[in-house]
Amino acid sequence: MTRTIHLSLDINGRRHELDVEPRVTLLDALREHLALTGTKKGCDQGQCGACTCHVDGSRVLSCLTLAAQVEGRQITTIEGIAAENGELHPVQAAFVEHDAFQCGYCTPGQIMSAVACIREGHAGSDEEIREYMSGNLCRCGAYNNIVAAVREAAEMA
Amino acid sequence: MTIMEPRKHGDASDGTVGGRQTRFEGNLKVTGGATYALEYPVEGLAYAILVQSTIPAGRVVSVDAEKALAAPGVLMVLTPDDDMGLLVASDWGGNRPENQPYYPLPRQVQYNGQSIAAVVAESREQAVEAARLICITYEQTPHVASFNDTAAGEGKVMDNLTSGWGDAEAALADAPVQIEGEYSTPREYHVAMEPHGLTVKWDGDQITVWEPSQWSHGMARSYSEWFGIPYENVRLISPFIGGGFGSKGAALAHGAVAAFASRKLGRPVKLALTRPQNFTNYGGRAATRQRIKIGATEDGILQAIVHRGASETSTYADWPEQTGAATPILYKVENFSSQHRVVPVNAVTPGALRGPGKNPSAFGIESAMEELAYKLGMDPLELRLKNYADHDYQSGKPWSTRRLREALTEGAEAFGWSKRSHEPRSMRDGNQLIGWGIGCGTFPVIQAPSEAMIRILGNGRVEVVSGAIDMGQGTYTILAQTAAEVFGIPVDQVEVHLGDSRLPGAAIAGGSMLAGSILGAVHKAATAARDELIGLALNDEKSPLRDTGANTLTFSGGRIAAPRDQGPSLTLSELMAALGRDEIEILRNTLPEGATAQEQHQAWTSMAKVQGPTMGEYSMHSWCAHFAEVRVDEDFGTVRVSRIVSAFDCGRLYNPRLVESQWRGGIIMGIGQALLEEGLVDQRNGRTVNGNMGDYLVPTNADVPHIEVISVGVPDYGASALGGKGVGEVGIVGVAPAIANAVFHATGKRVRDLPITLEKLI
Repeated sequence: MTRTIHLSLDINGRRHELDVEPRVTLLDALREHLALTGTKKGCDQGQCGACTCHVDGSRVLSCLTLAAQVEGRQITTIEGIAAENGELHPVQAAFVEHDAFQCGYCTPGQIMSAVACIREGHAGSDEEIREYMSGNLCRCGAYNNIVAAVREAAEMA
Repeated sequence: MTIMEPRKHGDASDGTVGGRQTRFEGNLKVTGGATYALEYPVEGLAYAILVQSTIPAGRVVSVDAEKALAAPGVLMVLTPDDDMGLLVASDWGGNRPENQPYYPLPRQVQYNGQSIAAVVAESREQAVEAARLICITYEQTPHVASFNDTAAGEGKVMDNLTSGWGDAEAALADAPVQIEGEYSTPREYHVAMEPHGLTVKWDGDQITVWEPSQWSHGMARSYSEWFGIPYENVRLISPFIGGGFGSKGAALAHGAVAAFASRKLGRPVKLALTRPQNFTNYGGRAATRQRIKIGATEDGILQAIVHRGASETSTYADWPEQTGAATPILYKVENFSSQHRVVPVNAVTPGALRGPGKNPSAFGIESAMEELAYKLGMDPLELRLKNYADHDYQSGKPWSTRRLREALTEGAEAFGWSKRSHEPRSMRDGNQLIGWGIGCGTFPVIQAPSEAMIRILGNGRVEVVSGAIDMGQGTYTILAQTAAEVFGIPVDQVEVHLGDSRLPGAAIAGGSMLAGSILGAVHKAATAARDELIGLALNDEKSPLRDTGANTLTFSGGRIAAPRDQGPSLTLSELMAALGRDEIEILRNTLPEGATAQEQHQAWTSMAKVQGPTMGEYSMHSWCAHFAEVRVDEDFGTVRVSRIVSAFDCGRLYNPRLVESQWRGGIIMGIGQALLEEGLVDQRNGRTVNGNMGDYLVPTNADVPHIEVISVGVPDYGASALGGKGVGEVGIVGVAPAIANAVFHATGKRVRDLPITLEKLI
């Protein structure tokens, strides 16, 4: 297969034009074609959550989403949630404050998941946060601090 | 690379050694700005994919690559027919066979999932598609799937791991109380979130490798030796590593394949292992089993321990997972005997995984100790305190520091251990059986020489430069804190450059040895740089501090002045300007004075200069005690860890915020080991059948309760220049037995083979 298709993707409020094979995932489009490498590839099988992005505000696994599926929809990645002036999103700031990561590789996915988790109204208690953040694995084991960060950000929201 | 300014929290002391400074590189990690190995923008990339064997043992007769080569975008197929002209590189000890050819895609198949071919194409998708078209013909030979296979045999005794004193067998036979059990742990895997892979690029005979690395210098050496090029021609770049846990300390076959393909194609190549390939391309923790016999008096005084252990290794290398590593040093015992065997099987050679040796070893001895406690009808805490080791009975040396007693007593206090009811099945909440258990852990203090550079810049900023790496342990942060303390400046006036084999050499980030080793070098270089600046400031005629008459200067609150307010005070940049200096650069290492260039190279690129825990006058180790509470559903046998309190003696903590995170991380990996993690092998074909993150279960957020961690350590200046002992590995050691012991207390069922899954409880 060598055929390429032209896509216009709206990512973080900006239009990106690219020509890719139809089988290219959103994750590979971001990382390999658009130099948006903040979104991570942990398993490429929909099992780890490291590639979590938002499509029209909902969390999706970008490794299981074809780039061609999201044309015309609003895509948000980790690079798009801080303020224009560089001020961190409250969830990002809470992750730093609570040391909610170590190696940092699952972190963009955790943060994108956390932003959506709060917006979904699933951050009402520690137990609920644990449950609704369990699609994002963290092998360094920052879970206690992730819960604390999400709780604090949810209280501020 | 440049580190963004960290957010500063708390008071100013957070930024000195021992302070709770937030993670120095935190902003980069939460914004997606931290660049990992496969994320460097390199022009003209080709993409490589590995093809792995589907048989466990035999020979590749032929590889039919015709269809793959004809597929769109394919540039190259590499097979065992390609002699890459490589030579075997040194092992970790720095030993190297003479002119021995190296075949990263070998014809001989020694395990299922071994890399035997590679496809390189214009895009990853094309390479993946073409890889499926490769047709391999094998000549299969009989295999040994695991050490439980009847064909596996007893394996061979590792003489260097045999240990003993007194007359253990006789003392055991004479002991009025005896227990005996066999404990086993399955194959376990690192499952770092960032899969292995690399981007590689040649410029003439110079090679740049972007690859996640726990040891930039050691891995650079392998590339230089494989390809027969000078060490200086290799640059391995690894400023951020998405977790390693022991798996990213050595260059591996796929690195050689990618580098060869890149050189042959004359263009940069990116090779990423798929997640399943991460389960067979390098080894995790070996499966282990060990038989422990303990003899004691009726009041619980240990008389003898006899330990016989075994672990799986591959058919082509001996890697012992030392089941007798913790056994001899946890308790006072006058008669001891331990032996360990390795049993070759058709699997990839196992490797180091968090707490190697100590971890399965502690599962054995700490389970056995509680079995003894229940046999005696004694509180397991009391039994441990009663047999407290006053010195190291194995080496005969005194401990440097050992606050394990405090870990046990203070941990017990925080946990509420005194409220325990001794009888199994005696604590419950509705249909949940509640159980409490203890597990102690230990990990040796290992030291290695390191080197660091300090640069004071004209603008008043201070740079710390080292080839050390940070995979999340906090190297950036504690190095910045060290420099900030020496120069009396805020942490955000410091820059830290790490993770590059061209920078000064450092210990591997493994064996919990990096922090103690590199801080020694950074502190030495920073102090020397400060002394150099003091000398200039007191003697240079342009210096405003020359006339103070002082013989030294103070560095505090960002200002430099004579002691007791004599005369002016200046900032670093003001002083550098007054002196007319753009930069002061100082390089220091912790090797003995007068080490030759050859010795330095050896120190940074091999383990030859590494010092073990008993090489000096003392026996030096980190210690911990874990207290676990489990809730077991009486009907379904499901086990949930509901509470953990762990107390640690890791000496002085350079940054408690980050240390607490590492301890919790180790404990959480221990929860996985106790309840979830198990590499399953298909006996028919030796294949790891659950080699992915959905089937090899690691703990999720919902599996983990709040974990309370306590430090009971005191500074140990024998263990390291700044008083710390290792923190990264010890956290996992002892967690699995604490949970297994809690499960026994809850249910009355002793599970001796991990993980503790529900079918073992029903």
